[in-house]
Amino acid sequence: MRMRIAAVGAAVVSCAVALAAQQKASPAHPDFSGSYERYGNVFGQPTPAQLADKTIPPRNPPAPLKPGPMKEYQDRLAAIREADRKGTPIATGYVNCLGDGMPSMMNAMFPIEFLVTKNQVTVIEEAFTQVRRILLDRPMKAVEDVEPGFFGYSVGHWDGDTLVAETVGIKEEIRYQNVPHTKNLRIKERVHLVSPEVLWNEITMEDPEVLEKPWTVTVAYKRLPNYTLLEYICEDNREFRDANGIQQIHVGDTGKK
Amino acid sequence: MKIALAMLCVAASAVPAFAHHSFAMYDHTRTVTLKGEVTKFQWTNPHGYLEIDVKQRDGSTKHYSLEMTSINMMTRLGWRSNMIKAGDLVTATVSPLLNGEPAGLLLDVTLPDGRKLEPGVPAIQTFKRTPPEEQ
Repeated sequence: MRMRIAAVGAAVVSCAVALAAQQKASPAHPDFSGSYERYGNVFGQPTPAQLADKTIPPRNPPAPLKPGPMKEYQDRLAAIREADRKGTPIATGYVNCLGDGMPSMMNAMFPIEFLVTKNQVTVIEEAFTQVRRILLDRPMKAVEDVEPGFFGYSVGHWDGDTLVAETVGIKEEIRYQNVPHTKNLRIKERVHLVSPEVLWNEITMEDPEVLEKPWTVTVAYKRLPNYTLLEYICEDNREFRDANGIQQIHVGDTGKK
Repeated sequence: MKIALAMLCVAASAVPAFAHHSFAMYDHTRTVTLKGEVTKFQWTNPHGYLEIDVKQRDGSTKHYSLEMTSINMMTRLGWRSNMIKAGDLVTATVSPLLNGEPAGLLLDVTLPDGRKLEPGVPAIQTFKRTPPEEQ
């Protein structure tokens, strides 16, 4: 009996030690769950107040593309501008009701929600109801083991108060601001609060075939404390892509209620 | 309703206006003012639509489909799906479709009670307005 008590006691102590060690090994991370909206000067020149606001990241640098991909990118931008000038815009994925994919969805064109749970951080972007999952403390897969998609495969871990995520497996046609990439694109994110209300996401794209060096852009989000993301279903999409890739619209009541 | 109207006014300056697709197919150099009877206020994504019948000088009726923005954006600006009903007589400021078909982008709409609502068209300042008397 005395032995049994001693054994139980030892087990309790060792459990307590193990628990304490585990708690020490994974320090408490901030639960920044909630709804947010894009914060800062997204278009145009920042105002003096925005320049003074240290929770607004500085302007992002242009993509450091290698000469070949740079020419392709610039030609594409010129074609988009010319098509817009002529009133015949080139159809994008949006015309077919397709979501942004990664990492564009993290630009939060519409409000974005983070759900921080023990084994997963889930990100939902309101437009097109885009959802991605960052699996915590799971091994990364090789690019060839991930089927290409819009959101890819993401794993993450906590580095103190920062969520560190890595993503591979993005379809080549899913571009961030029209910047080309290969199937080997690797997206690294560092997500952390810079104030109780503002979350930053430092997004680094690595793709040595097309980029001279890793390209980091920073996106800020501000809390929307009383906002619940709305549904978004592409219910009556009157725009369409014609045979020449130009955006057109069906004119007239489609009969949708 | 007063609260909703106040929301529209307050929110309009705060909500960032994003476009999911290009509005380049609409004429940015002029607007037309359409007075007509609503046949439907369609509350759908990716965009809402206002369908109106406009009486022509010869007595006939011409139907126009007016594109709005995402109903999510409109909701954040204070819009609700019941703000306009079939049968309402409205005045719409419209950027017409460049190809001449009877459709346009709705920049603002004045309701029978005089309220003027905007669906939050992105970069609305790039649409040059034509005074009604010059149309």
